[in-house]
Amino acid sequence: MRELWRRLGRRFHPQTAWHEEIHSHLTLRREWNRAQGLSPGEAHRAARRQFGPSLRTLEEIRAAHTRAWLDNLLGDTKNAMRGFRRSPVFFLIAISTLAIGVGASTAVFSVIDPLLFRSLPYPRDEQLVSVGYFGPIDTNEFNVVSSYLEWRRLQTPFQMLTSMRPASTCDLVAGGTPQQVACYGVEANFLRTFGITPDLGRDFAPQDDLPRAPTVILISHRLWQQVFGGDAQILGRTVTVNEEPVRIIGVLPQRFEMPQLGDWDVLLPERLDASLPHSVNSNSALRTFARLREGVSIADARDQMRPLFEAGLREDVPAALRVEVRLMVRSLRERQIHEVKLASWMLLGAALALLLIACANIANLLLARAAARRRELAVRAAIGAGRGRLIRQMLTESLLLGLAGCVGGCGLGWVFLGALVRLAPDGLVRLGLAAIQLRVLLFALGTSLAAALLFGILPALEQPRAESLIGWRAAAAAPMALRRCLVAAQVAISLVLLTGASLFLRSLWKLETQPLGFRPERLLTASFTLRRQRYQAVAARVAFFQQLETRLKTIPGGGSFALSDSIPPRGSMGRPYSNMRIAGHPPLAQKGGLVAFRWVTPGYFQALGIAMVTGRDFENAERAAGEPPLILSASLAHRMFGNENPIGQHIELDSDGRWSEVVGVAADAKNSGIDVIADPEYYRLRMNDGPGFGGTAVALFRTSLDEATLARWVRRELAAVDPGIPVKVERMEARVGRFTDRPRFLASLVAVFAAIGLVLAAVGVYGVLSLLVAQQSREIGVRMALGARPRDIAWRIQGYAGIWTGIGVAAGLILSSVLTRLVRGLLFDVSPADPSSLTSAAGVLAILAALAAWVPARRAARVDPVVALREE
Amino acid sequence: MEDPARRGDRPQGTLELLILKTLSRGANHGFGITLHIQTVSDGLLRVEEGSLYPALHRMEAQKLVKGDWRVTENGRRARFYSLTDTGKRRLAEAETNWALVAKGVQKVLRFA
Repeated sequence: MRELWRRLGRRFHPQTAWHEEIHSHLTLRREWNRAQGLSPGEAHRAARRQFGPSLRTLEEIRAAHTRAWLDNLLGDTKNAMRGFRRSPVFFLIAISTLAIGVGASTAVFSVIDPLLFRSLPYPRDEQLVSVGYFGPIDTNEFNVVSSYLEWRRLQTPFQMLTSMRPASTCDLVAGGTPQQVACYGVEANFLRTFGITPDLGRDFAPQDDLPRAPTVILISHRLWQQVFGGDAQILGRTVTVNEEPVRIIGVLPQRFEMPQLGDWDVLLPERLDASLPHSVNSNSALRTFARLREGVSIADARDQMRPLFEAGLREDVPAALRVEVRLMVRSLRERQIHEVKLASWMLLGAALALLLIACANIANLLLARAAARRRELAVRAAIGAGRGRLIRQMLTESLLLGLAGCVGGCGLGWVFLGALVRLAPDGLVRLGLAAIQLRVLLFALGTSLAAALLFGILPALEQPRAESLIGWRAAAAAPMALRRCLVAAQVAISLVLLTGASLFLRSLWKLETQPLGFRPERLLTASFTLRRQRYQAVAARVAFFQQLETRLKTIPGGGSFALSDSIPPRGSMGRPYSNMRIAGHPPLAQKGGLVAFRWVTPGYFQALGIAMVTGRDFENAERAAGEPPLILSASLAHRMFGNENPIGQHIELDSDGRWSEVVGVAADAKNSGIDVIADPEYYRLRMNDGPGFGGTAVALFRTSLDEATLARWVRRELAAVDPGIPVKVERMEARVGRFTDRPRFLASLVAVFAAIGLVLAAVGVYGVLSLLVAQQSREIGVRMALGARPRDIAWRIQGYAGIWTGIGVAAGLILSSVLTRLVRGLLFDVSPADPSSLTSAAGVLAILAALAAWVPARRAARVDPVVALREE
Repeated sequence: MEDPARRGDRPQGTLELLILKTLSRGANHGFGITLHIQTVSDGLLRVEEGSLYPALHRMEAQKLVKGDWRVTENGRRARFYSLTDTGKRRLAEAETNWALVAKGVQKVLRFA
């Protein structure tokens, strides 16, 4: 390798030596002319005249000898390589700066590419849409069986309309051990709508989907591999799903994903039954997807579906919800990513901002280098190298830098991506597909080359001047302004990043320190679901829970214990507020959204640490018989009763003529995620005679036991009642922590970007000021000789830094106030114009810029006038 | 790839001889060589800078001369060329050749 360098160096040495030699020749000639009695100017012109034309010819001859541009390119490349070899520090700084910028944006791009850009894994994916009712109940559109059956009969805009049931968990027995797998019921035309055919076996046929047909299933590639060992003879094999024997008829391709991106193992026929009573079908939820007819747009489809939607609304949606429900038809991609779209774009923006800062740094470095090489370029121009030739030389250099940066960037991108994937919270959409692929490499190459052109073009455009041949220091002033602008721009962009980071961090801090309404510390949860056929009977469930409750209460050290059907910070899907009635009061307002509810045992509030506002907790004695009593959340009590005392009032919850007495009011606790205000909520007592015993339960323990010990106890007690019920034990803190995973991920990513951006900006400020000091050392020397104190000089340099940082900060503040408004939706309880975030970001930046300026300023203050003046 | 230093290599007898001869008096830089040839020939011979430097570099590649950067009496940096041993031999050959060629040319001229 070194031999190669040496040989390259020797081979091309004559060419540069040539330029220097010609320069030296010109000088000697000029001096000789002076000695002959010519004036300085005349001597200079004469020297150029005597030399010029023949040199131009020389360059032309050389060009004629050279085989066209390829040779030039080769020459430029080698020239550039030699240049890099001469100043390895410059080269390293430039490449690593670029690599950081490209690496960060490449990693981010590879994460969001499958979300925003890559086509979905279905043929003609642009025709696929999700369609349904959209209301406050769910963040995604849904449908009900009764409406869907009508839509399917009468719709016009779609080639195919299909449906699936919400995810469920099934018990699968294949061979010995039962296991839980993710199941979906889908319509017979489901896969055909998406253009997917099984890898093995056949798709569902219409007769499989009839209400009483023998059950057949399709399985995922993963299940096939993991449970059946990729057995090619699997078709027709019978396994047990939810205690029913079913036949496997096909295996789906590995790349198949459910349209709502859910994990899945088994597809069952959905078996819609139009003969069921309307009240059943209108309460049975579906997700509906469709493939648009050729040439029909989403807007067209929406218009055509409108009458069906209106009709369905009247038939199937409770009056209370009608005003808040609308028709939704949107592309499948939009359906999949609407929750993460804003965050994805924001991250890409942040990464590109980082890249811009890196570019500004490199442009600055190249400009500084161009200044140092001005004489070389002027000589080349003087001996006839055309302007285009020189620009090409500069561009070759920056393109080479760009390529090197691309290679480094891909490497770093790979590392960043690894870190990103490790840090990413669960359930980040399509994270599994994020990889450095060809598209991503092309992106990296594109950004690197675009960056290279961007920062290469600036120095290249500078016109070489004839003066540079003689007194090159004089001509140094012009690009300094450009460089300062670059620094100001860097400061501005990095301020935007910094503001973003501080907004996200503040938002995260607020999210994590806000009162939840309950105390998650020292709280352990154990959740499980009864799936067996025999628990279909209420009596079996009641018996199970009574036995279990007695056992769990006696766990040594179990602390306060309670049982509930769900726990904060989530809740059950709520019921319409307007369904409720208060005895002796006028009906409630028709609007009012949903009210969450839970079935709990006495001690629930104590275990969770929810304060009672008035009234009392439930009592065990009340569980024997009668209507379950009621405890309201503070916000629900206020909404229903205002300043009236709710205790002792009677409420009808479900228009069923059953009235429950309010015995207490509990403080609000988060019940629909932690980033929104708690929905109003009521609690009912789990009675001994049945009401309230669903299949799913969570046992709560406020205890000083550790997770593992408690888990062991709970499993043992559960197994004593019914072996084979899987249970999940988790700390409440971990459970709550998951709700802040995403904001934390975003905040930390933006913070890292901002920190890198800050360092790069500081390097930029430092670099420009160092150069300024180096170039002005003579002037500084003169000033000092004339009596300026070192302190004045240092302040002068700091002043320069101050002005340009100030301009950058001002521009950055304006930019931030515009850009941060775009990410309002990602912030919790923090205004995008949050003054403390803006000022702290500006402050940090100003301090860092001052620190970066400090070193050059000190250097300026130490300039020795004698040395500085003698230097020229 | 063709060696750029040897590109366009063709007999450049006269200039080469003049350079070798000039350098036989001691190391000199390009401008010095121009000046020397011009002065000694009483201004009859004017060396084109455009051919001088390519010739010098070619001769350096052929190891006839050796160049290195030095400082002139006036304190300027310049590239000084000096004869190598090969160069000295080449000068002897070239001088003999030149004498023969000159004699030959003279004869032809006189005959015509």
